[in-house]
Amino acid sequence: MNGHSNGKISNTVEDYNRNEKKCFGDLAVEMKKSAVICEQEFSRKKTEDESRLPAIEAAYSIILRELGEDTDRQGLLRTPLRAAKAMQFLTKGYHENVNDILNDAIFDEDHDEMVIVKDIDMFSLCEHHLVPFFGKVHIGYLPNQKVVGLSKLARIVEIFSRRLQVQERLTKQIATAVSEALQPKGVAVVIEAAHMCMVMRGVQKINTRTVTSTMLGLCREDPKTREEFLSLTMR
Amino acid sequence: MERALPTQQKDAEATGELNGLFDAMMRKPGGRPGQAPPTSSSSSCSVTESWREVRTRSVEDNEMSLPSLATAYTSILRGLGEDPQRQGLLKTPRRAATAMQFFTKGYQEKIIDVMNDAIFDEDHDEMVIVKDIDMFSMCEHHLVPIFGRVHIGYLPDKRVLGLSKLARIVEIYSRRLQVQERLTKQIAVAITEALKPAGVGVVIEATHMCMVMRGVQKMNSKTVTSTMLGVFREDPKTRDEFLTLIRG
Repeated sequence: MNGHSNGKISNTVEDYNRNEKKCFGDLAVEMKKSAVICEQEFSRKKTEDESRLPAIEAAYSIILRELGEDTDRQGLLRTPLRAAKAMQFLTKGYHENVNDILNDAIFDEDHDEMVIVKDIDMFSLCEHHLVPFFGKVHIGYLPNQKVVGLSKLARIVEIFSRRLQVQERLTKQIATAVSEALQPKGVAVVIEAAHMCMVMRGVQKINTRTVTSTMLGLCREDPKTREEFLSLTMR
Repeated sequence: MERALPTQQKDAEATGELNGLFDAMMRKPGGRPGQAPPTSSSSSCSVTESWREVRTRSVEDNEMSLPSLATAYTSILRGLGEDPQRQGLLKTPRRAATAMQFFTKGYQEKIIDVMNDAIFDEDHDEMVIVKDIDMFSMCEHHLVPIFGRVHIGYLPDKRVLGLSKLARIVEIYSRRLQVQERLTKQIAVAITEALKPAGVGVVIEATHMCMVMRGVQKMNSKTVTSTMLGVFREDPKTRDEFLTLIRG
């Protein structure tokens, strides 16, 4: 058992009772309580969402009318509701908390080589024009005895991208979240995205991509580490 | 704009050729200009609009609607739990309103304005194709972008159209709240009414952000729609030629 056991597995419950001065059964109750609290919070946020829906829906009806459309035609009858729900989905990151998704999935692992999760699809909303921008996120980190479940990196991207964002801030938020959760030796995040506000309107350049990066720790200080990350992610 | 708008008189020669499409449009109950438009129940029998229809919006309308659009966007920001007073969001309502007006500027434009000068008599009866026209539209169900490519082909009947005008027709119809099927048909019908060619084919391949960013969330899915009129519909070889040429 990788040196973690001293052979006294059967005494675990008694040890716990003795050390924590609680009953093991209390622990189960506590865990259930926090699960219930999580559920309650989730349903509170859901109720909050539902209570705000009519106002957003009304705003969309006004928008359709002011754009010169006929709000009574068949295709647009339920559009305000659909658009309001879509907008709430696209900004659901405000309700989510990095700790909630990360807490269980940090593992002690004796690994000190770079770990990279790349090509994470990302969809966000430009906070200046309320128009989508989307692209790929590449995350790399140098563990310091702690690694994180790989999908959790993608979940961190989801939390921060499903908000009204600016690409620079998004990149930094992801890097900071990984850094705070794992305390690794270094973190690198690169985002390459297409901004519909530049493609569909304004300057209308179809093939442009915006690339932003945040390098923390060794990824910032050591050029070789940075280069390794960049050559493994940028084809 | 999907209200049933009044149609003009059509040439008799145009009616028989395109599988009754024009007949259906002519039989559509409509008023004359100046009358109130028909109710939405009667408009549902015609999916397409005449290329001579009036504009439903003007640049002045845009200026006048901007304040209420901006107010609506402010309440959306508040409803989402954001703080409209923070620095990044201060001018967002106005920017978003202007952006949305741009995404629906097709309502301000008329086909006849872009096309009238650029129809030329040319003794050419082989297929003309303009392909890979980038298209950006808005899903009318979720108000989220649709983007893709449009391929247009037509068999001229002694009249050809300036090539960029095909792209301009795409712009007019795509910069609206749309459904991909309707957009395809509108482009095809506009070209048919303007040029009276032997046949028209339009294929659109697009990605719908409403399917990619939300809902079923399938990143790589594409929707393909097509409209074939005239010989493109009747003659499989012509259709084949068109489809092969746009694929290459």
